[in-house]
Amino acid sequence: MAPSSTQQILLSPAELSYIHTSLSLSPPIRPDARTASQFRPLVAETDILPSTNGSARICFADGTEAIVGIKAEVEKSRPIYQQNVEELDLSAGAADDEDEDDEVGNGVKGLNEWVELSVEIPGFRDDDSMPVFLSAMLSEALLADGDFTKRLWINRRFHWKLYLDILLLSQPLSYPLPLLSLTTHLALLSTRLPKLKSELDEDPLFDDDWDASEFLYPRAVGKARTRPPVTLLVMAVQENIIFDPSKEELAVAEVVLAVSIGEMSPPSGGGSMEVDSGKGERDLRLLAIRTIDPPSRLTHSGVPNTLNTATGGSAAGTSEQNSSQRESVVEEGVWQPPRGGAKRKLIAAMISKVLERGGVAEEVLDGLDAVELG
Amino acid sequence: MAITILAPAPAIIPYQAESSPDDSDDGGVDLQGDVSMRPAKRARHSREIITPGEIITDDAQWMRGHGTYVAASSSEIIATVAGTVQKTNKLLSVRPLRARYTPEIGDLVVGRIIEVQSKRWRVDVGAPVLANLPLSAINLPGGILRRRTETDELQIRTFFSEGDLLVAEVQALYQDGSASLHTRSLKYGKLRNGVFMSVSGVGGGGGVVRARRQVWTIDTAHGGGKVDVILGVNGYIWISKHVEVTGGEAAITRIEESVSSTVYSSQNDAIERETRREMARIGGVIQLLVTEGLRVDEDMVMKGYEAAVEVDNLNTGESNAYLSVEKGQEVLKLLRGI
Repeated sequence: MAPSSTQQILLSPAELSYIHTSLSLSPPIRPDARTASQFRPLVAETDILPSTNGSARICFADGTEAIVGIKAEVEKSRPIYQQNVEELDLSAGAADDEDEDDEVGNGVKGLNEWVELSVEIPGFRDDDSMPVFLSAMLSEALLADGDFTKRLWINRRFHWKLYLDILLLSQPLSYPLPLLSLTTHLALLSTRLPKLKSELDEDPLFDDDWDASEFLYPRAVGKARTRPPVTLLVMAVQENIIFDPSKEELAVAEVVLAVSIGEMSPPSGGGSMEVDSGKGERDLRLLAIRTIDPPSRLTHSGVPNTLNTATGGSAAGTSEQNSSQRESVVEEGVWQPPRGGAKRKLIAAMISKVLERGGVAEEVLDGLDAVELG
Repeated sequence: MAITILAPAPAIIPYQAESSPDDSDDGGVDLQGDVSMRPAKRARHSREIITPGEIITDDAQWMRGHGTYVAASSSEIIATVAGTVQKTNKLLSVRPLRARYTPEIGDLVVGRIIEVQSKRWRVDVGAPVLANLPLSAINLPGGILRRRTETDELQIRTFFSEGDLLVAEVQALYQDGSASLHTRSLKYGKLRNGVFMSVSGVGGGGGVVRARRQVWTIDTAHGGGKVDVILGVNGYIWISKHVEVTGGEAAITRIEESVSSTVYSSQNDAIERETRREMARIGGVIQLLVTEGLRVDEDMVMKGYEAAVEVDNLNTGESNAYLSVEKGQEVLKLLRGI
């Protein structure tokens, strides 16, 4: 389990109980009255850093803000003493030909080490668990399909090395994973690499006209295309599945999942799928799921009036008895931290709610599509 | 649409509280646009934001005020905070865009217990340093008036423990700028049955301003019942279900009866769905006022709430308390129209 929150936010048992009861109503009433699948408005822009290959900035409504800059460098590939690349192409090459030029279709192979991702969060050291986990989750989603690194292939001797620098500008008020993921997504979409002029295995020579540069994720109009992954945070309170939780909502969550989804260009053989999906449909893939330790488990349970000496109740003799009584009392309006794990059915429901047709992932990707690029 | 993505917009210059006292009785809504050009004494603001280190003027006729600095052997006045320039006669000061709350005696504040010590609590009130709440400055349950004993010290956590919210008054200030609070009134004490939100306080910018009434009850629409709003001067806000106080008038003479047994309870009463929805709506209105750089006080919150209900009623379809970006604009239009 990934570590829960960047810092434990302190809420009183009365607040926790209020938010928890509100969220477990059907439909849930969130503290800001959003519907369960509604996101807070966010401010996004791309290409903000002129000297990077691609960059983006996103500012969430709660004031958290992130900047991602992407730098590409040409690097000499390690010689690979491996002849049977054909085998690999049979499986992956076919889908690859769709959006890549045919001339690079042969022998294209990427290595995960061509991507270096660093996450910086104010107040955290590089080797603290939080940035390490976040960068692991982000790179996991990025590298999951094995397609991404193929884009960095130049020829047999050279490749692009991509440095993704993810910087959280604000204090990590709530779990920053979705913010960082969305910003990385936009930055990757706006990443451009200079156009290659040399051929085959020559030393690479590039067109020095930046206007001629090519996007890392080529944008074909009207054609389904591959997109960088997006990681969304989904939480559940009892049966209610809630998207884009604020920090107060996270504080009462019973289950928190980080769901990474990617969009694939439809496989070449999948003609029948396209027929029934119609136009504008997205072929969404689940890339990764991580459970996140809900911070609510670390809270203390509230004291019911019957056990509170200050309200005319009587406390038990010893502190052990007292805490065991507090755990067992189930009373309306008293905060009880969630115990036990997540139900499989619930996790399945959460995932299907993300991926379903017209579901949240599609809307998020549609929204991100509308962001002005470059 | 589940997600709204906006293009970046320039920052909003916050509402500027007028520094002269006579504007409190003119009643009307004072939005940022209307700067009545009264001569002389009125402080004049410029709309332009200046940053720390910027030279405001090198004219020797100006005197330096708050938020400025004059280097030795020069007459240049340099800003030390980011904010707007304010000129009062020949006094030049910079009002910060954001600042922490500076406690003043008599302020009504909402605070959160951060630390429990043997004879006092340390309370976060949004000030640069934590405030103190001595054990002797609270009402004992049942309203008993007596010295605090070791027994009270031992069970200090039954009154307030870490994370608990309370409403209190600033009783005294210390040299280091920290405040000492007290809750020795029926109005003050532990908070429950509601939600907390934090906006910017009196320090600078839009947010809660000092007003005649910081605590009042709203009769909400859509069957929400009565909802209490506590605007802490420090920018911490508590919105809760209104609980009728039994006893009423006889409170002063028979304090032990009216300090009901539930003052230190951390158990919520049953709160209906409608009430929760209206509380969320009030929270949305306050959030809107803050993001638009308007002041937050009883008058504005009430008008904003009425406007929000009206906008919601005009909307066809399901009633939804959520103030989306478009709805927020409509509410603002109504507010400015009044």
